[in-house]
Parts: sequence; structure tokens; C-alpha cells
Amino acid sequence: MEISRNPDTPEVRKPFGARFKKGFREYRVAYLFILPTFLFMMLVHVLPMIQGIVMSFLKLNQFTLSQYLKAPFIGLKNYSELLFNENNPVRQGLGYALRNTAIYSVVVTISVMIIGLLVAILLNRDFPGRGIARAAMLLPWVVPSYVVGVLWGFMWQKEGIINYILVDILHLMSDKPFWLIGQNTIWAIIIPTVWRSWPFIMIVFLAGLQTIPDDLYEAAKIDGAGRLRQFFTITLPMLKPIIAVQLLFQIINNVYSYNIVAMMFGNGSGYPGKWGDLLMTALTRQTFGYWSFGVGAAASFLLMGAMLIIVGIWYRIFRSELRVD
Amino acid sequence: MNTRIAKKLEYYSLNTLTWVIVAVVVFPIFWMVKVSLHTNGEILQGITSMAIPEPQWLNYKNLWETINFGQYFKNSLLICTATMLISCFLAILAGYALARYRFPGSGLFGISVIGTQMIPGIMFLLPIYLLFLNIKDTLGLPMVDTYWGMVLVYSAFYTPMSIWIIRSFFVSIPKDLEESARIDGCNRIQAFVRIILPLSLPGIIAMCVYIFLTAWDELMFAWVLTTTPEVQTIPVGIRLFVGQYTNRYDLLMSAATVVTLPVIITFFLSQKYFISGMTAGAVKG
Repeated sequence: MEISRNPDTPEVRKPFGARFKKGFREYRVAYLFILPTFLFMMLVHVLPMIQGIVMSFLKLNQFTLSQYLKAPFIGLKNYSELLFNENNPVRQGLGYALRNTAIYSVVVTISVMIIGLLVAILLNRDFPGRGIARAAMLLPWVVPSYVVGVLWGFMWQKEGIINYILVDILHLMSDKPFWLIGQNTIWAIIIPTVWRSWPFIMIVFLAGLQTIPDDLYEAAKIDGAGRLRQFFTITLPMLKPIIAVQLLFQIINNVYSYNIVAMMFGNGSGYPGKWGDLLMTALTRQTFGYWSFGVGAAASFLLMGAMLIIVGIWYRIFRSELRVD
Repeated sequence: MNTRIAKKLEYYSLNTLTWVIVAVVVFPIFWMVKVSLHTNGEILQGITSMAIPEPQWLNYKNLWETINFGQYFKNSLLICTATMLISCFLAILAGYALARYRFPGSGLFGISVIGTQMIPGIMFLLPIYLLFLNIKDTLGLPMVDTYWGMVLVYSAFYTPMSIWIIRSFFVSIPKDLEESARIDGCNRIQAFVRIILPLSLPGIIAMCVYIFLTAWDELMFAWVLTTTPEVQTIPVGIRLFVGQYTNRYDLLMSAATVVTLPVIITFFLSQKYFISGMTAGAVKG
């Protein structure tokens, strides 16, 4: 059966080219405005990323470096080296780095969120000197992260100030522990990161707390809800969108953390040890140390894939919290 | 009566707790400054000998004379300022386009801007390093170890987040303002420059401070993409210094203090705008 089409119906979708043309004329200013950023992103984000993916399929080391992208194509060999060849130099210690990154990211992210929220609630009251307290707490956040690495590396020393406080003043331990050697190292990198990251989370939560209308708490009080009940039924749900966004940025920042660990150990360029190494420090050191750019590119690509999966899971969990305007 | 006492008790104990937290949080910074005022002999002897309250300003003088700190400082200042100006310009344009227009592709552009944050730095580091080497080989234009190479990389990296910071500011400015300006005879660009830009100045300040602080803090790319002291930035200089002079904690801590101070001062001067600017986008989601 033939359906006669009315050529005048406005609903008929024009071909993409025509729509684009019309859109382009209408939004010429907008396109003009994003053009420089677009070109920049093409040059520094998209192009290197494609190049990185290509590189992960090439035999790229100190001998073939000058051939650049014309280096011999070896298919998935870099990936299989990385995943299955335990003797590959880039692989050395990568397992430890992966484990540490997992522990580090989870512990830092959770501690930062909890401390940030609790202190935000503490600061969301009226008391003399509130502004000063808030500004002082924000200080660690503006200290450059390489300074954080150097400073805490100094404080963690066996005869350093932390052991002095813990052992000589507070008598919490009988012996001064080594913080930068052995299993304690994981704490030596987690605590400075938390110290530097929580203030920002706190200030965001504080801004969020101030948007919650007082009426809600008043109504809850009338209904007989206690403080704890109010926290779980009003405060937490109202802050959920903020928690979602900050959680994502925390995970990304912590998995890709580099500066603090890179500056803390072995006078700035050494091996942080089995319990201090992170993925980014390990990959950077190993790739440039052995000029193993093909395997390094493969590792970066896998890492990015893993991050995409994490972000996907995050999106599934928090989809309903994200408001798109 | 009892509840009033309990309330008072709670009020004061929470205040005390707050100030205890402030003390613990600020202590490492205090310690950094204090150590920087001691001679290396005192520092190496240990904590007890450091009670002597006699500041040694000599460390700060030595810093500029022995390790060429001034050059690193100048490099960082130049690279970060140029990055700030370029990123700020790009982000204002793109952020405005995203806030005001729903053009075909705006969604995709917005997503990919945020998406760049999920890519690990090392994914760019290797290709950009090789690309830079290759540009020199084929075009004769040096890219590694140049100011413009660093500025190019940094401004591209910090533009995406800046776009999101400034976009939320533009969104919060009512569209009517622009429209009435256009009725009064401004064209689009004039309305943007005369109405929108002045109104979003707090956001622009927040964004600029954000870009500067982030660039000031960057180590990984600077470590690989700069090789001579003429271009190397402060983090690279400090890392090299730590490797060269073991146990010179007097100089190290004064260097750390010197690079932290400008940042803290900038932060306090711009605090009002910076905090509201950084939290505005985060709270709105």
C-alpha cells in the first residue's frame, strides 16, 4: 500500500547535512567560540591519544625510536608482554603498584569524604572565629603537592617530628617505627594525600549544607526525629548529588596520583618500595627508564580502559542523582 | 536547666574540637616554616636542639645564591602566567558558547570536555614527548625544553575544567540582561563584553586562580618535557635538588616555604571569589 506523503509536512526530518548547515548558520557565534578550544583539544588530547593507541601496537624502544610511527608493527605483543611475561622490565613491581593504587585510592577517597563531611557539619554552626577556622583548614589544599611530598617525607623520618610526637610526647608506641621502609609506607603516602585533599571536599560540602532549607530540620524535629535520624534522612540525601560528583573526581585523582609519591622517596627519584609505589609512578619510571614506549603505551591504554569501566559503574549507581541542565 | 547546661557543654566542646582540628591541620605547614629557619646542623641533631628560637634568614639568601632558585621561579612564573591567560581566554569563549547555545554537537562537546579528565596523564605523556621530538626532526622547530611547548601542553590540559567552572557562572546570569542590552543597540559581541564579562568577574578570578595553582603544581610533564635549567619549573628544580643534596633540609624547607607562600597569599587575596567559584559548579552538579 502506498502512503502518499505530504511534501509540506514540517515534521519531515531533513538530511543531516542540511540540518547541520542550518544549525551552523544559526549558531555561527557558538561554533566560532568553541573553535579555538576544539583545535587545541584536537592537537593536545585527541591526536596524542590516537597516536598512543597506535604506539601500543608498535615495537617502540631505544633502537626504533627514531622511526617513530614507522616502527615495526607487532600487533598485540606489547599487551601480551605486559599481561603474561613476568620477565618484562616494565612489568617489574607493577603488581605491587596495582595493589597499592587500589588500597590507596579506596582508603583516601573514603577517608576524605567522611572527614570532609564531618568537619563541614562542625563548621556549619555559629561560633566566634568561624571564618578564620575555615580559612586555616583550607591551607593544606593550596600547598603544592610536590611540597606535600617533600615535607611529609621529612616529617616521616625515623628521628622526625611525627615519631617524636607519637613516641616521646604521646607515648603511643614504645619504639620509633620506620615509616618510609616496609609496610608502613602505604600509610606514609595515604595520610599526606588525605591531609591535602579533604579541605576541598569539606568546603564543597559546607556550601551544600548551606543550601539545605532549615524548614526541613524544623519539620523533622516536630516529628520527633533525633540528630542522627535527621542526618540520615535529610542531610545525606540532600548532599547526594555533591557526593556523587566529588566521589568521581576523587577516584580519578587518586588512581592517577603521582606528585606526592614521586617526591617523597629515595631523594625524589628512587623506588618507593613494594608498599609505596603507585601505578603512575611505576609506569613513568619504568617506561622512561627502559625506553620501552610501546609497552608503556599499552599499559596506559589498559589503565584508561579500566578507568572507563569504573566511571561506567559510577554512572550506573548515581545516574538518578545527576541533573543535566 | 539540665538541658541548658548540656547545650552549653556541647557548644564549647565542639568549638574546642574545631580548634584542635585546625591546630593538627596547620601544624605541618608551621613545621615547614620553622625548620626553614634553622641551620642544617641544628636540624640534623634532632628535635631537641631545634628549640632554640633564633631564626636563620641565611637559608633564604643561600637558596637564591647556591641552587639558582631564581631561574626556576622565573620559569614557573612565566609558564603559569602564559597558561593562565590562554586557558582563561579559551575557557571564557567555550564556556559562554556552552552556557548560552544548544547547538548541534554541544552535548558531545560538553561530554568530551569532561571526558578528557578521565584519561591518565601518561597516556598523553609518551605520545606528546615523541611528537615533540618528531616536530623538531621534521620541522626543525624545538618543542621539548621550550616555554611554548610547556605552555601549549598546560593550556590545553587546564582548559576543560576551566570551561566547567566558568560555564556555571554564565548559566547563572539571566539571559534578559543580554537581550535588553541588544535592544539598546549592542551587538552580540558588545553585549558579551560589556554586560556578561563584568558580571562574571568573580567566576573569572576563581578560574584564573584555579589554572595558576594547578599549573604551579604540575610535575610529571615538566619532568619529562624540560631538560635544561633555562626552562625547568620549580617542582622539577626541587626534585633535582633533593636528588643532589641529600640531607640539606635547611635549604629544602626554605625552598618549600618560598614556593608555598605566593600560593597561600594568592589564595587569601582571592579567597572570597575562589571558594564561591570553585564550589558553585560543584554544588549545582
